[in-house]
Amino acid sequence: MAKTIKIVLIEQAFLLAAGIESLVSELHGVFVEQVYHGSEHSLTDKVLGHKPDMIIINPHAIENQLLSVIKTFQQEPDIKLVGLLSTKAPDNIKSRFAYYLNRDEGKFDLLEGLKKIIGNDLEKPAKKTRILSNREIELLKQVCLGHTNQEIADKLFLSVHTVMTHRKNITKKLGIKTVSGLTVYALMNNLVDIREVENRG
Amino acid sequence: MLIEKDMKLADVLHHDHNLIPVISRFGIKLGFGENTIEEICAAQQLDSDFLLTILNTFHDPLFFADRHLKSFPVGLLISYLKETHKNYLNERLPYIALLINRLTETSSDHKTAYQLLMNFFVEYKKELTKHIEREEKVVYPYVLQLEVAIASGTTSDALLQQVNTYSITDYEEEHENVEEKLFDLKNIILKYLPPTTDQNLCFTILHELFILEKDLNEHARIEDTILVPKVEEMERIINKRA
Repeated sequence: MAKTIKIVLIEQAFLLAAGIESLVSELHGVFVEQVYHGSEHSLTDKVLGHKPDMIIINPHAIENQLLSVIKTFQQEPDIKLVGLLSTKAPDNIKSRFAYYLNRDEGKFDLLEGLKKIIGNDLEKPAKKTRILSNREIELLKQVCLGHTNQEIADKLFLSVHTVMTHRKNITKKLGIKTVSGLTVYALMNNLVDIREVENRG
Repeated sequence: MLIEKDMKLADVLHHDHNLIPVISRFGIKLGFGENTIEEICAAQQLDSDFLLTILNTFHDPLFFADRHLKSFPVGLLISYLKETHKNYLNERLPYIALLINRLTETSSDHKTAYQLLMNFFVEYKKELTKHIEREEKVVYPYVLQLEVAIASGTTSDALLQQVNTYSITDYEEEHENVEEKLFDLKNIILKYLPPTTDQNLCFTILHELFILEKDLNEHARIEDTILVPKVEEMERIINKRA
């Protein structure tokens, strides 16, 4: 599951593009990375270059190239292809898209529609992530004592790579990025002793 | 909302109160009555186009500041940035330090935890101060020299060498670590601070930190979208001339 959903939008009209961006910003973890007008040179390469999770297309933006553009995108099974269509759009257009948003709907219907399309793709914040494992606590102590990744690896018989992975997880769980921030956390929770920290090199 | 010269300043600030620190950095005092931006600028001999560009950039991330670039000298921008720095160093940071210090004094329990918070803030303050000093002692003088060289049409060898070794593009990358510390500070208070008797004080501290963060972000954005492109252009002119 992806942590965030990255959308590329193909929409010629500024007003509609701004509307979609505003709508999408209501959903946590979902964002529009780039808007294309549709007339760009080598459009499909540019769009796929973003490695999007979702592509929203207004068929009007690409007119007669629609078929070939859709075909190219369909070769990427992990990308959800969404048509931005009006209620009056003919069925032969609707049927080209795996999903579609009805642009004539109200805000909350549109949001529901978008959520359905996203489905379970968005990673929900895991419960109890706050709690560090014993191994992570051990590692956190070493970080606070001022040891480098290499020193910690040697001391705990781990590879440097593993140490770095642990450190990333600790930062993710606690929401603290800097060594001094981690030290404050460890001290507040009595994981390390203030005298030990003060004696560090 | 696009801010324009003939708007009343009071209306603009009702619409976006985040602009209050900006006008204070221009030396505009409260009590401006029904006066428009243009009238206030005329009375205080401020460049109204420049004030508008800064207000709009601060107000709307999508505002194209670069379109208005050529209309004012870079010295004007730098004196604004320096005013901002002064505001951080002499007012914002000391005020937050005062609040955190009050927290350590008023609570009877968990004194160590609050002391740790204070130490962390002091460390952050030191780092931000260092960063600001570097900008004022190295970056800004360099930029001003570029402007003088372009105006006078002569480039000294020393400056030319500096253009070739130090480029303004390096400077955009220097903001990061300071930002991380502020991020940590907010999370420590939000998530891990032991319960205190004075919750309101903690809320005030948090509120101040969020305001500071927003202001720092806008400050960095003004540097990155107005100062950096303008300097890059000057660097190109000088390189072409050499």
